[in-house]
Amino acid sequence: MTYARFFVEGELPDEFRERFMKAVRLRAMRPLEPDEEELERSGWAKIGEPFVVDLAYDDVFFNEYVVLGFRTDRWAIPGPVLRTRVKEAEAAYLEKKGRERLSRKEKAELKLMVSKKLRRQMSPVTRSVDLSWAIGEGVVRFFSHAQKPGAAMMELFKKTFGLTLVPESPYTAAARIGLDKAQEKAWHDLEMTCLASGGRRVTDEAAEEEE
Amino acid sequence: MSAAPIHLADRIELRRFVGRELLLWLWLETELFEATLSTKEHGQFGLWLEGRLVLDEGKESTVIKGSAPGMHREAKEALLRGKTPERAGLHLSFGDHECTLTLRGETLAFAGLVPPRKTREADEPPPLAAPPVRRKKKRDDAATNDLAHESFYDRMHFARDVEALTTALYRDFLAVRLSPAWDAHVAPALAAWVAGEDVDVERYRAARDKAIARKPRG
Repeated sequence: MTYARFFVEGELPDEFRERFMKAVRLRAMRPLEPDEEELERSGWAKIGEPFVVDLAYDDVFFNEYVVLGFRTDRWAIPGPVLRTRVKEAEAAYLEKKGRERLSRKEKAELKLMVSKKLRRQMSPVTRSVDLSWAIGEGVVRFFSHAQKPGAAMMELFKKTFGLTLVPESPYTAAARIGLDKAQEKAWHDLEMTCLASGGRRVTDEAAEEEE
Repeated sequence: MSAAPIHLADRIELRRFVGRELLLWLWLETELFEATLSTKEHGQFGLWLEGRLVLDEGKESTVIKGSAPGMHREAKEALLRGKTPERAGLHLSFGDHECTLTLRGETLAFAGLVPPRKTREADEPPPLAAPPVRRKKKRDDAATNDLAHESFYDRMHFARDVEALTTALYRDFLAVRLSPAWDAHVAPALAAWVAGEDVDVERYRAARDKAIARKPRG
């Protein structure tokens, strides 16, 4: 298991199970369509089954846990393919119109048209990260360390449940453990212990070498 | 915690190094105490560095792999060059659990934590071949679902057990790190240990035990 922990801030609403179920269904993943403007979208899916987005109560609630898949779909057209197809389209357009140049607007429109055409011939890239929320503990375990999906998940979590997630870190862990007054003062004044020989660090040596 | 008007995100960033120092302290203690550590809640247990140890400073990093990466000369040299542990592979042996994981200093996140196989099931011989019974699909689905749920709960309970252990270690580390014992005893012990000099283990143990046992003052 590879995961990062997030701590839930805020109180659970009354009848949270029913409310959360509705909220999860509302934010369930809607697959991307080729003609849509959006190039990337995230939503909830069934844990371990990213293509199941019609979620039942038993899919989401495992006793004291909420379990979900955080799915993100993204159109990923290979750059060289897009460039080649756009050039072909531009050449065909110029020939048809009997012109030598395209305006900026025409170029943008052609690129969009080609992109949509290519999207119809392919599927978006799907990525899903499992998540388990231990409701009693107030802890979300998100099975990825990557920053981008972590940040996107925090945003969707807030929109869905109305609760804020705080990522685990030495600071938050210390706050949870609780420090007495003397420890708090020491924490405030804390400086990194340096074991570098002669108190010098790699960066200092590198700076000297540069000089 | 301090109510200074600093944004939470900044406070988190400013204290990321404390997690690296936790790894450094665990590394020191596993060597001084011959891989036998203890906490108030867990009693004695086995903990040692195993697998991968990554130390870095800025863009420079040192990766050491092996069954005892902390014992490599290169690891201590990296510390002397100002690098600190970014992540460390740990082997834990506590209660009925035997496991490995990678602990990341700046996020205290786990990687590669593998729950132990259920010994009862693993040791049980496969059932003798009985005539296949065709069960109804609904019942099969329910059984599969139950197994999946059971496996999920097992993994979550195991994760919580390991988290409780690392939290207890972090709490003890903070007790030492935020006490005068750090500058008076731990920092000199670290310096001697990194330099390959002898450390007075009993003196060190007495100082750290005293700091950990100290009752919090309001």
